[in-house]
Amino acid sequence: MSPVLVLNLAWQICTLALVALGLAIVFGKLRIMNMAHGEFVMIGAYAPVITSSLGLPDWLTIPVCLLTVTFTAFVLERLIIRHLYGRMFDSLLATWGIAILLREAVELIFGRGYQSVSPPLAGTLHVLGADYPAYRIAVVIGIIAGFAALYWWNTRSRVAIRIKAMVGNPELAEAIGINTARLSAGAFVFGCVTAGLAGLILAPTIRIEPMMGLDYLVRSFFALVVGGLGSLEGLGIGAGIIAGTQSLLGAIANQTYGYLAVLTLSILFLWLKPDGIRSSSR
Amino acid sequence: MIPELFGDFLAYQIGLYLIYGIAAQGIGFLWGKTGVLPLGQALFFGIAAYLTAITLRAGNGLVLDLFLAAAVLIAISVFAFALAALIFRGRNESGPYFSLITLALVMIGEQIAGTATDLTGGFNGMSGYPSLGNIDLFDGYYYVIVAATVVVSLLLFVLNRLPANLVARAVADNEPRLQLLGFPTHVVKGAAFALSAAIAALAGGLFASHQGIVTPTSMGFGLSAELVILTAVGGRIHVLGPLIGAVIVGWASAELRDSFPYWELCMAVAFILVVLKAPGGIAELLETAYRHIWPERVGRQPGYIAAPPTKSAGLTGPLRFEDVHLKIGVVRILNRVSFETPAKGIVSVIGPNGAGKTSTLNTVTGNLRVTSGKIVLGEHAIDSRPPYMALHSGIGRKLQVPSVFFSMSVSENLAIAMMANRARLVDLFRPSTCQWRSRSLSGMLAHSSVPLHEGIVQPVEHLPQGHRQFLEFAMTIAAEPQVLLLDEPCAGLSSDETALMTNLVREYQADTGGLVIVIEHDMSIVEAISDKVIVMHLGQVLAFDTFEKVRSNPDVQAVYAGGTK
Amino acid sequence: MTALLEIDMLTGGYRDTNVLFNVSARVDAGSVLGVFGRNGVGKTTLARLVQGSLIANKGDIRLEGRPVGALPAHVRRERGIGYMPQTSMVFDDLTVRENLNLGRNREAPDRYFERFPRLAERLDQPAGTMSGGERKILAFARAMIEDTRLIVLDEPSEGVQPENIEHMAECLKDRAEAGAAIVLCEQNLTFLTRISSWYLGLDAGSVVLDKPAAEVSVVELRSILSL
Repeated sequence: MSPVLVLNLAWQICTLALVALGLAIVFGKLRIMNMAHGEFVMIGAYAPVITSSLGLPDWLTIPVCLLTVTFTAFVLERLIIRHLYGRMFDSLLATWGIAILLREAVELIFGRGYQSVSPPLAGTLHVLGADYPAYRIAVVIGIIAGFAALYWWNTRSRVAIRIKAMVGNPELAEAIGINTARLSAGAFVFGCVTAGLAGLILAPTIRIEPMMGLDYLVRSFFALVVGGLGSLEGLGIGAGIIAGTQSLLGAIANQTYGYLAVLTLSILFLWLKPDGIRSSSR
Repeated sequence: MIPELFGDFLAYQIGLYLIYGIAAQGIGFLWGKTGVLPLGQALFFGIAAYLTAITLRAGNGLVLDLFLAAAVLIAISVFAFALAALIFRGRNESGPYFSLITLALVMIGEQIAGTATDLTGGFNGMSGYPSLGNIDLFDGYYYVIVAATVVVSLLLFVLNRLPANLVARAVADNEPRLQLLGFPTHVVKGAAFALSAAIAALAGGLFASHQGIVTPTSMGFGLSAELVILTAVGGRIHVLGPLIGAVIVGWASAELRDSFPYWELCMAVAFILVVLKAPGGIAELLETAYRHIWPERVGRQPGYIAAPPTKSAGLTGPLRFEDVHLKIGVVRILNRVSFETPAKGIVSVIGPNGAGKTSTLNTVTGNLRVTSGKIVLGEHAIDSRPPYMALHSGIGRKLQVPSVFFSMSVSENLAIAMMANRARLVDLFRPSTCQWRSRSLSGMLAHSSVPLHEGIVQPVEHLPQGHRQFLEFAMTIAAEPQVLLLDEPCAGLSSDETALMTNLVREYQADTGGLVIVIEHDMSIVEAISDKVIVMHLGQVLAFDTFEKVRSNPDVQAVYAGGTK
Repeated sequence: MTALLEIDMLTGGYRDTNVLFNVSARVDAGSVLGVFGRNGVGKTTLARLVQGSLIANKGDIRLEGRPVGALPAHVRRERGIGYMPQTSMVFDDLTVRENLNLGRNREAPDRYFERFPRLAERLDQPAGTMSGGERKILAFARAMIEDTRLIVLDEPSEGVQPENIEHMAECLKDRAEAGAAIVLCEQNLTFLTRISSWYLGLDAGSVVLDKPAAEVSVVELRSILSL
């Protein structure tokens, strides 16, 4: 394998893991089949566009991204999502409606055309005997560090257990003093914010447009399906298999075969191992 | 009438909406009844559309075309049946995995349709073929579509009146219970999926001829999602709901999409509102309004007819455990369990909480698969049979927490139970099957103190726990199993209700002369009804003897004191 | 002195259908109110109205004189109302240990492990893999160790072996002696008569008996329970 292929693989796996993280929380933990997940990635990717169109300086991009996504997610949770806990198929339909809503809203504001932004870090670095964009290397390192921190926090915090308790038996969770409305809203917003951040990080490397979310949604779903809902390790494995298969086959044969292989793999997992590779508890 | 009144172009458009509506009706049937949500119906729609285009291009003449169309419908049904039956086999719920599989399949289909240029014309699709029988698309073809719509709707209306409809609804309601009543639920879901796929394929064939072009989008995820939306908006419960949804949404989009910039936004909001506030869709709102003006006449309860005898199980005789082990993960649930019950009589199972009593019954019905050892009923090993085979082996089961069809009325619950172990396939399609009533069930319901009133039309989820115990017991004995397994039938009952229940159990045993195995904690009940008692402790059989001997057994006294209500 | 819990002319049920009508009762700290009646008379509804998973349509609920009837369940828990539901009484996906440690507790569960050794053996096992009776015991132990002042229990003895029902009665007595008020909805007369200090008999959603335990005979209790 050439060094560039390895670096590309690392980039693909890390970004997919980050994109899928929010869905792992919202679908894996809260059991909301969030079809609008990709749209939160999209909104995050629009954050630089929003910032510049408001005439704000570049360093405000991250706060703008966080604010926009948090606000959108919070309002949607209070108005719509909170009625859908425990109603998985209804959550799928309603969030599909939300996805259309968000796409149309963004299209009305920014138009249908592509937007692009430049990376905050220009230039390349010489790694593993190849020149590779410095921005991507920084992102890969950042994501790995972020996941390590999250993993550490997750082993200590009781939030994951409380969420699991709430989803499994909301009435009993209330009865032992868990404020389920606040906990579920918090988890949903957190999941959406990570998606928004993923969008912001990806923004300089892609074409930004209102319809871009669908592909991220689909790949996140399949990463979760393969890796198994509910654990960070599973998420990493799933992202590795999906992104790995797609980019390797894409490099060896062509994109279509990579795509078909990912779909076939997902079907096999859904059929034979619906809990994924890691179906473990946390 | 549309062509005459509003012109051919509108008729042409309405024709297209009806085609989508037909496909959506298939989704409504599957989703509304069995609770299985298909996300890839465009796969069948698209395959049929491509095959129709290929056939029409070959120019075989109308007769051969129709013949081929029928063959395609059958082939797609068989494929869909096999797919669903295979995936649902060995499971007892319809989680999201099946929906996601259909989604992945349609994406594969779309990808292949877009890249296999030789076969499908690739991205540009197939076009330039004549319509079916060369009917004028702007005139006569509309009536072909209307005819297809009427046929499909009538078919679904008729299905609604048949016992098969109850069975399909029972799948969505409580699949484990339906399996214990002897229905192979994966076959039921497979059949429902096959019908919905055939309907989608019919729509796809009509579409190819109607549009004169088939592209990969006809087989895409986008179309699949749109069909689901039409179904949800129109209403998945009512037969006509998806049609209403398709025509209203289709017509309104065509009128407003270009003139009103916020149209798509409004559609999305309306769709979300329907999902949140009106799960029955437009059809339900219309029906409620209609019932407001013309209230439903309360029909006279149809009389009962004598149910046919149960299928003979052929398996009777003692139930024998031979060195049965059961492990779940690292936890040992059963450890070297061996015993042989008498061929008839009442056997009680007692023991501390967590001794493995319920698990023992679960291995008998196949809800748990033994790790090693053998379970034999009469002369046949039954330990590798799935739960839906239990009743065919002559085993009926009442679960610990009463398990009934919660969204159905008492009489609907009983009607399904009457079909268990009696109905042949053809009986599921005879309306009179719902009126079946066996003597023993009538006898039980005639007890003035049994708290089951068939006049109550409300779903039984509103019944208190204790009444559900009696309902589930009635449902279990309706199938007249030779071996009756009862898991704490008196839990949550008052002392009088307990006395009634034990009487019913005794009567049933006396009537059938079969074997009844009861898990019970109340020692006065155990003493009153048991011919033999099995004492379990830590996954093992501690003692197996008459009540007197068990009570004086020092090992038993050490672990289990007993008491009464 | 105001009672720990006062229920005043409570009417309520599920959505628009009322199950309970004008029910009043009071429970002092240190006492056990035995709520009984046939299936479907409204015991579970009463328990849920007090605990907060249902909100009454009419009437008041006061905890130490302060109205709690309109508060959501988790706030009532913070005020000191504990609850053990009749069904779905544990978190099936969590281990026994996690079930016990999820709430805010007054004591470690060790004391209850002596009475219910099964729990100690199964600490790291998911609660959903335990038998029905074991789950009841787990839920009971959880309700006992929480730092609550009023404990509402809905049919705790259902499916539990008689010996463990004895243990439950002892635990409840201990908690009552330590100053907690207990509302026990039960059908098991042996259990009920062992620890109740006051009886509230329900029939068709209304109170048919409201007397201190000393003034009630078992015959009277049976007559209300009979069909």
